[in-house]
Amino acid sequence: MASVSFRQIAKNFGKVKVIHGISFDIQDGEFVVLVGPSGCGKSTLLRMLAGLEPISGGDVLIDGKVVNELESKDRDIAMVFQSYALYPHMTVRENMAFSLKLRKADQSLTDERVNNAARILNLDVLLDRYPRELSGGQRQRVAMGRAIVRDPKVFLFDEPLSNLDAKLRVAMRAEIKALHQRLKTTTVYVTHDQIEAMTMADRIVVMHDGIVEQIGTPLELYDRPGNLFVAQFIGSPAMNVLPGVLRRSGGTVQVEAKGQYWPVPTGLAGGADGQAVSYGIRPSDLTISGSGNGIPAKVIVVEPTGAETELLVEVGGQQLVVVIHGRTQAQPDEIVHLIMDGAKAHVFDGASGQRIE
Amino acid sequence: MSQAAALPVQSAPTPRKLDSWEFWGRILVIPYLLVFFIFVVYPVSYGLWLARHPASYVKLFDDPIFFRTVVNTVVFLVVAINVKMAIALVLSGFFIQVRWWIKALSVLFILPWAVPSIPTILSVRFMLNPEWGVINTLIFKLTGLDGPNWLNDPTLALSFSMLMHIWKSLPFWTLILLAGRLAIPGEQYEAASVDGASSWQKFRYVTWPSMRTLYLTSTILSMIWTLGDFNSVYLLTGGGPADLTHVLATLGIRYLRLDQVDLSMASIVVALPLVLPLVYIMMKRLSK
Amino acid sequence: MTRLTLKTVTTEAKLLLIGIPVFIWTVIPVYHLFLFAISPRDSATSGRLWPKEPTLQNFSIVFQQKHFYLDHFWLQMWNSLLIAVTVGALTLFVSTCAAFAISRLRVRGGRTVMNLALFTYFIPAAFLAVPMYKAMGNYGLLNNQWALILAMVTIASPYCIWVLKQASDKLPYELDEAAKMDGATALQLFRLVYLPLMVPSLVAVGTYSLLLAWNEYLYAFLLLSNDRSVTVAVALGSFLSADDSPWELLMTTGLIYALPPAAIYYAFKRYMVTGLTAGAVKS
Repeated sequence: MASVSFRQIAKNFGKVKVIHGISFDIQDGEFVVLVGPSGCGKSTLLRMLAGLEPISGGDVLIDGKVVNELESKDRDIAMVFQSYALYPHMTVRENMAFSLKLRKADQSLTDERVNNAARILNLDVLLDRYPRELSGGQRQRVAMGRAIVRDPKVFLFDEPLSNLDAKLRVAMRAEIKALHQRLKTTTVYVTHDQIEAMTMADRIVVMHDGIVEQIGTPLELYDRPGNLFVAQFIGSPAMNVLPGVLRRSGGTVQVEAKGQYWPVPTGLAGGADGQAVSYGIRPSDLTISGSGNGIPAKVIVVEPTGAETELLVEVGGQQLVVVIHGRTQAQPDEIVHLIMDGAKAHVFDGASGQRIE
Repeated sequence: MSQAAALPVQSAPTPRKLDSWEFWGRILVIPYLLVFFIFVVYPVSYGLWLARHPASYVKLFDDPIFFRTVVNTVVFLVVAINVKMAIALVLSGFFIQVRWWIKALSVLFILPWAVPSIPTILSVRFMLNPEWGVINTLIFKLTGLDGPNWLNDPTLALSFSMLMHIWKSLPFWTLILLAGRLAIPGEQYEAASVDGASSWQKFRYVTWPSMRTLYLTSTILSMIWTLGDFNSVYLLTGGGPADLTHVLATLGIRYLRLDQVDLSMASIVVALPLVLPLVYIMMKRLSK
Repeated sequence: MTRLTLKTVTTEAKLLLIGIPVFIWTVIPVYHLFLFAISPRDSATSGRLWPKEPTLQNFSIVFQQKHFYLDHFWLQMWNSLLIAVTVGALTLFVSTCAAFAISRLRVRGGRTVMNLALFTYFIPAAFLAVPMYKAMGNYGLLNNQWALILAMVTIASPYCIWVLKQASDKLPYELDEAAKMDGATALQLFRLVYLPLMVPSLVAVGTYSLLLAWNEYLYAFLLLSNDRSVTVAVALGSFLSADDSPWELLMTTGLIYALPPAAIYYAFKRYMVTGLTAGAVKS
């Protein structure tokens, strides 16, 4: 069992509180991604788990045991750094064997583990090279190999793909995911890229300004964001958000925004008539029609990307993004009509940003 | 969907324990701290203590040699440093040119800095010997006249000390300024060429603005080090003739030999108001 | 082959106009030394550019210690060497430990230690000489070679710590964190990761302190007085006070004394130049 738990974890740098009492659990074998904008505290949280950053308050548990006082090397974890942190003066083999050498492990055990890791990561031919002779992707794999050799309880990744170009990033994402499926080791992965989070995670922890905004599976966060921040952070292009007012009259519920009436999910229970709300609808949940039904909008820019078309339209002075499949005949300055399914809409309280169900 | 429920855990704040990194860090600075306290703090404190009597300073200021020394030191600083740095600036522009013979020359040029002072200063001292030194011998051969007694004239003697100082330290500063020149991107010169700038204009509008700070910092540092140049004066003139070419660096030793340790320390203390501000400036520049 | 235009000719001429004087200026004192060393006693002062009868006789006299002033030549050379090497090694040890603690282990108060060191570096050594002399007297170390060794270590260390720290700061800190995760103790980090990566700087620093000690005159002169324990530098200085000194032997000894630093400097030129110019004035 290699579970990880955070209990009221807090971190201060001097007087500045950067993490305010976070608690959540990670199950054995889970791939959990900590995601959020720069400065949200995700790397700090990871480093506290790693033992690279002292803990100001609360506890970190690995496998049910409090590890606050343990040094990194005693926590049975391995970390892959953003800049790989390979030892420049050692060969790939020596890099991967280093941790075992420090523990004075048996040579045969070391060889076995190193060769095994090299095989898994396709590093066999590179074992005697030096890091400066390797490409970015190869170095990344050596860094992972170094972690695998440790056979730890938990893998930690600190934005490992940030230094790679876009194409390589996509390939490495798949490799890391495949590795996890093969080794089934508990993994905590930090990134600022929500696409990485969505594609790789079993569960995502969205962080913001030192607190956890929401925890859930990728689709949970996509379909039912708990607050405005998560709604706008997850998903690309970002969700359209309009400030408006909830209208209840008779049996119907709508949101009035920018001079128009927008549909909401049926059975929306929360929210009072006249309450200020934020109305959210994803660009891919909007479509356009030339005919009269729907909300009129003026086309500003049309951007065909091949399989899809992205349109920038304007309603009542606010710009919205619409993503449709296929092509469109719409031209800039034309008026089109926006059509959406109320069930896909999201309503958030205007003041707190919390989701209204 | 929502956060996992916070368990009511009694957790004390993590005590600030001495982790092994910090422990070894402290152990590893001990050697230097020992050196510092035993061989810097104690000597300096003891020296200041020896210089505590106001009477020493009265005696010091009464000594005509002291005033002569101060004048010499100021002259030395002002003339030697500015001449040296100006030449270093010019030479940095020379050595940056790409020629095989300039490269060879730059290798040779480091020689004065690399070799010890004693042999070379003594060598020049003998060249200046009025009877059999090479210079006067040549003067006699060419003109039939006796050359001057170089080191017996205080002005000439001090000048030669300055020349020796420049000879020794020029390579170092030339290298520094050369490094500064190399840091200037070539495109700036190309743009200036396209704009029709002459060599002088290129220097004035491209080279100098980039080098200005380095030049200034080097000058300040050089002032501190020149103040401490004992060899160039002592080995060439011994402070003579008649103690007329002493500088602050050699004066302390003179008093020491006369068994006037208090004056020796006093002369150093008197130099501090000049030295300490310069040191302070250098430290501020370096920690930027 | 560049075209021989008037412009290129004048440019080359201008460069030569600087180059030739620089060459002559640089070489004269050293060449004069060399000239004396290979000339027989009487003709050394003749003013010729090359002796009529060049001889190695002076060298043989020096090497065989065949003169009153040269009685302890080899012993003094040995002293110079021993002191220089010890200073180099000790300074390397002290400054490497301190730089590692300050730069990698981020010890508390590291910044202060660095500033203390810098301060010591900037104070001219000549000003510290007399206090050091008195202090060594109080410690009972006068005329003991350790006085000179420790004094030179004190003078050389600050600069070495600065240079090592600058070089060390360029190593990414994640390397240390990776080592920490791999299970390295602070000492293992020092031995297995830090030192191997710092070799060029260590060479520069060791060479610098070695040469500093070898070339030193003032401190050697103050702290050592016994003919048997002084360095060659002091011995050369003591020639000066006598009237009947054998000048040509003096110059020969000086030349011999000057050769090792020149040779070492040229051998390690690359390390020295990058190491020392980077440290002296932060660009």
